[in-house]
Amino acid sequence: MRSCLLIIFALILVLFRNLPCMAANPDHVGVVKTMAGDVEISRKGIQLKAQANMRLLKGDQIMTGNNGKVGMIFEDDTVISIGPNSKIVIEDFMFQPNEKKLSFVARIIQGTVSYLSGQIAKLAPSLVRIETPHATIGMRGTHILVKVD
Amino acid sequence: MLNRLRIATLFVLILVISGCAGGTMVVLTPNPDGKTGSITVSNQAGGVDIKSPYNATTVKNSTESPNPPSELSRDTINTIFSEALSIEPKPPVHFILYFEKDLLLTSDSVKLLPEILIAIKERSSTDISVIGHTDTVGSREYNMALSINRANSVRDLLVTKGVNLNHIKTTSHGKENPLIKTEDNVNEPRNRRVEVVVR
Repeated sequence: MRSCLLIIFALILVLFRNLPCMAANPDHVGVVKTMAGDVEISRKGIQLKAQANMRLLKGDQIMTGNNGKVGMIFEDDTVISIGPNSKIVIEDFMFQPNEKKLSFVARIIQGTVSYLSGQIAKLAPSLVRIETPHATIGMRGTHILVKVD
Repeated sequence: MLNRLRIATLFVLILVISGCAGGTMVVLTPNPDGKTGSITVSNQAGGVDIKSPYNATTVKNSTESPNPPSELSRDTINTIFSEALSIEPKPPVHFILYFEKDLLLTSDSVKLLPEILIAIKERSSTDISVIGHTDTVGSREYNMALSINRANSVRDLLVTKGVNLNHIKTTSHGKENPLIKTEDNVNEPRNRRVEVVVR
């Protein structure tokens, strides 16, 4: 009886050990790769101080101060870097080519942004979009610079 | 009289500020490989296509159509975007290592190892993915185990060359994610591989 319980306990442990992995993977969309000065991430209403190698989630708003700048790499190889006094939001991100689930929508609220498109733009250009208060940018595999005031 | 002048100046100032403030500028620049893609900038009032490098458009607001593209000087671009560009990380790089059979790398793939190490060093990378794959010869279970062993063998190889074990994440796809789609039980050298992504 006791050994039976132990086995069940062990099985539950094994099951749950893998669960956080499976749950965490779709959530994490990229990482902070390079940064300087004040950089904050607003996540579900909570302000976090950004750090190098910090993981980014869908819905994150990234903000830089007067002296802040930050470079980010996303799971599909997209590279985004932003200068001081800038604010962008990762509105949507899906990169599961096997299931054909692809999407990248970023919104630039203000500031200066460099955007180098990744694999989503190659596989499904129509599903990649950058929005500003004044216009929407669609692209085919490219590098662009955007300034919004 | 002085007051009136003040009010007029203030009025002009407000006009100038509201004219300057607000708006989006989009510049198309070449990719790191030298090629240039294309973009479309649009809103409810219209849209423009940009296809030539260093061409830019401006949009004042969402109810006015984007201006026709015009070329910007590199100096102007650098002045506006120098801070954002100065922090731009190097794009991730992908390597594919092929296997003769089992865990034996092809000689060409062995020669790629130094390049992988250079890429890791150049990026000070702490985020390296190693993804194992097989061809379709054999059962699902056999190939899942083989792809795990392949990923682990490449990881171990990198670790013996000085890469931090904690910076490497291995995953394995067995025979489920072939580079070249084949029937089951097909010997396909291009599917016997490990992909290394250095971010």
